[in-house]
Amino acid sequence: MRYATRTFLLSFTPFAVLLIVSFWAVQSLAASAARSGFHATVRETQRLLARLHSRHEQATKRLLQVLAENPALKAGLQLALVEGGNAEARLTVADQLREINAGLDFDLLLALGADGRVLAAVRRAGGAEAAGTVGERPAPGLRHIAGEWYRLTMIPVNLARENLGALIVGERIDLTEFPIPVVLEQGGRVIAASLTGVPTAELGRALEACPAAGGCDVRLNGVTYFSLPFETHEFGEGVRLRGLADVDAATAPLLGILRRVFLWTGAAATLAALMVSLLASRSLTRPLSEIIAHLQAAELTGELAEFSPGSCRVREMRQLVQSFSRAAAAVRESRERLRRAYLQFIGSMVSALDARDPYTAGHSHRVSEWSGRVAEAMGLEARQVEDLRVAALLHDIGKIGVPDSVLRKPGPLTREERRLIEAHPLIGRRILAEVGGFEPYLAVVELHHENWDGNGYPYGLAREQVPLAARIVHVVDAYDAMTSDRPYRRGMRHAEALAVLERFAGSQFDPGVVGCFRRVAERVRPEDEREAFAGSMEQLAQRIEESGTAFSEAVQSHDAAV
Amino acid sequence: MPARGGDIEGEVIVTRRLSRPKVTAPAETYRRGIGVELEAELALDWLTYERSHVAVYLEGNFSSEDGTPLAVIEQRGRRFVPDLVVIPAGASVSFPNLDPIFHNVFSLSKARSFDLGNYPQNQTRIVRFPKPGIVTVGCHLHPNMSATIVVTPNRWATTAGADGRFLLRGVPPGSHTLVAWPRAAGPIRRPVEVPVRGSISVRLEIPVGAGENQSLAAAGKER
Repeated sequence: MRYATRTFLLSFTPFAVLLIVSFWAVQSLAASAARSGFHATVRETQRLLARLHSRHEQATKRLLQVLAENPALKAGLQLALVEGGNAEARLTVADQLREINAGLDFDLLLALGADGRVLAAVRRAGGAEAAGTVGERPAPGLRHIAGEWYRLTMIPVNLARENLGALIVGERIDLTEFPIPVVLEQGGRVIAASLTGVPTAELGRALEACPAAGGCDVRLNGVTYFSLPFETHEFGEGVRLRGLADVDAATAPLLGILRRVFLWTGAAATLAALMVSLLASRSLTRPLSEIIAHLQAAELTGELAEFSPGSCRVREMRQLVQSFSRAAAAVRESRERLRRAYLQFIGSMVSALDARDPYTAGHSHRVSEWSGRVAEAMGLEARQVEDLRVAALLHDIGKIGVPDSVLRKPGPLTREERRLIEAHPLIGRRILAEVGGFEPYLAVVELHHENWDGNGYPYGLAREQVPLAARIVHVVDAYDAMTSDRPYRRGMRHAEALAVLERFAGSQFDPGVVGCFRRVAERVRPEDEREAFAGSMEQLAQRIEESGTAFSEAVQSHDAAV
Repeated sequence: MPARGGDIEGEVIVTRRLSRPKVTAPAETYRRGIGVELEAELALDWLTYERSHVAVYLEGNFSSEDGTPLAVIEQRGRRFVPDLVVIPAGASVSFPNLDPIFHNVFSLSKARSFDLGNYPQNQTRIVRFPKPGIVTVGCHLHPNMSATIVVTPNRWATTAGADGRFLLRGVPPGSHTLVAWPRAAGPIRRPVEVPVRGSISVRLEIPVGAGENQSLAAAGKER
């Protein structure tokens, strides 16, 4: 796992979890607060309803007290008592009830005789006759009469100490008139409900869990109701009225708003946490990434560069970068030292080689120097130029394996001697191949005697088959050999050697390299030209004299020397 | 036959509404299950009602009894019909119950107090009124039922018609006091001179106007 990912996850996950949990908790709390607020409202409403109801109850009772003292009614009941409840007496009482109820408008008004039997019964004006439906001896309380629920209140009618009978007032209970669905229970059994669409039995089962006097949440048809009994709605005989307030409908708007608010703020907070975590992880890992990138670059180039520690603000990171830079500097320094030691070693080795023949002293160093210049002029990269310098320094290392007698022989070489000489590139290669890290130089050492036209040795490769480095060294080597003194001749002048090179460009030498060499040499060695002009006449004459014969010798001796 | 005297022609003029009788619906309407609009029952206008509830009679016990007829007050539709009867002293009133329910007839008036008890449909009770005076009749079972019987000292008594007109025939000539007794306002007395023959005309204005005789106003107060 990437360090950035890890940092991000470690910083973001707890953040997000904390956010989600706290939002969830707050939302739950708010929802439960809304619910309990609603419960309180329902409780208050029901208490108010109950209070109104009991006040109404009281008023009804007072009215009934007055009604029971109605002299005409008393006279009527007395009449009924005297007449033994005959039809006309009953009709008289019924008529009286009707007249009374014309003003009072009770849903049901009954007159009972002294024996408790119904003498007369009337409904609200305009209603049908009720006498047949109330039963013979109705008792006060909640009664189901002709498909409707009535609450019957009874008041006795007395004359002096004699009981003439009783009046019963019935008020219809319309459950649908309540502002919320209500349920009538008797002894834990549901006997009526105004909640449509729910079977009574199911309602009873749902309400079973509710405490008799307390409120509880009930789930019906996928809706949550808060069920609370009306406190003073006592109908007697264990009958209780229970309200069912729709919690979902009441709290839905508030909860909807809460949910929206929490969703948005939660999303925003999570997004902010995400951004912060991303920034944090990036700021934590950036110095590391830089170091890694640096190291990767170092891996590619082989160069371990130092850091610029300015950008890093974290102290530990700065220290790390500084330590790293110091380490890198130390490594580079030691490497540089090693390289210098190695170059010195090569230099000494080559110097020792050149020293075998005083005439070739400094040859390898010069070739190295000039090859480097030419390579630079031809636009090679610094690294290649450096490699070429080293390779050129080593190009004749194979001559270690050539006997001095052959190497320093002044005269023409025999065929066998020539073979020995021509073996030196391969010998050099063999020697260097054993040494680790010398691979870049092998080609130059092996192929610096291959000609442009393929007449060189050891393989007879032509043109671009030979690496450019080897071609450069070939040209520079020839030039240096021609311009060096030999036991049997003096070295050529620069211009002469250059002329020879140009003559053989295209056959022996790469013409491009020769052209470049010429440009480099003109820039570097103008003093040679002046020297040439300023030379004594004698010398000039001698050279002219010699030039005829010397040239062919020179070419031969060059070949032999190389 | 008594000596023929003059006639008193008159007109009762009621200028404003005096009473506010409670009108109750008859029992039948309840039985039919129809709601009753109170006061809609009264077809006649209020002034007509007031005019027809004015008893008119002569004061003075100067009459000879002859053939006092039997007046009838029916109990019908939980009402006494008629609710104003004018009879000479010594006459009797029958109270037949025509309603399907029990009724009771009683009076607590000084002139004649009685209680006929409760009796059902198609029964009647007869009461004789020997003394003149105003008798208010009620029903214990139906406190809204009320009737007035004006028992006059002589036979020259009547009620005004719906148009307010009345006529007393054969009044003995001489000075008399004519009394108008509207149920709601008490008696209004007016002296009249009855000729031997012919008729006089009297105008009785109720209530007594500002230009009326002071004695009438005093008489009004007396009640």
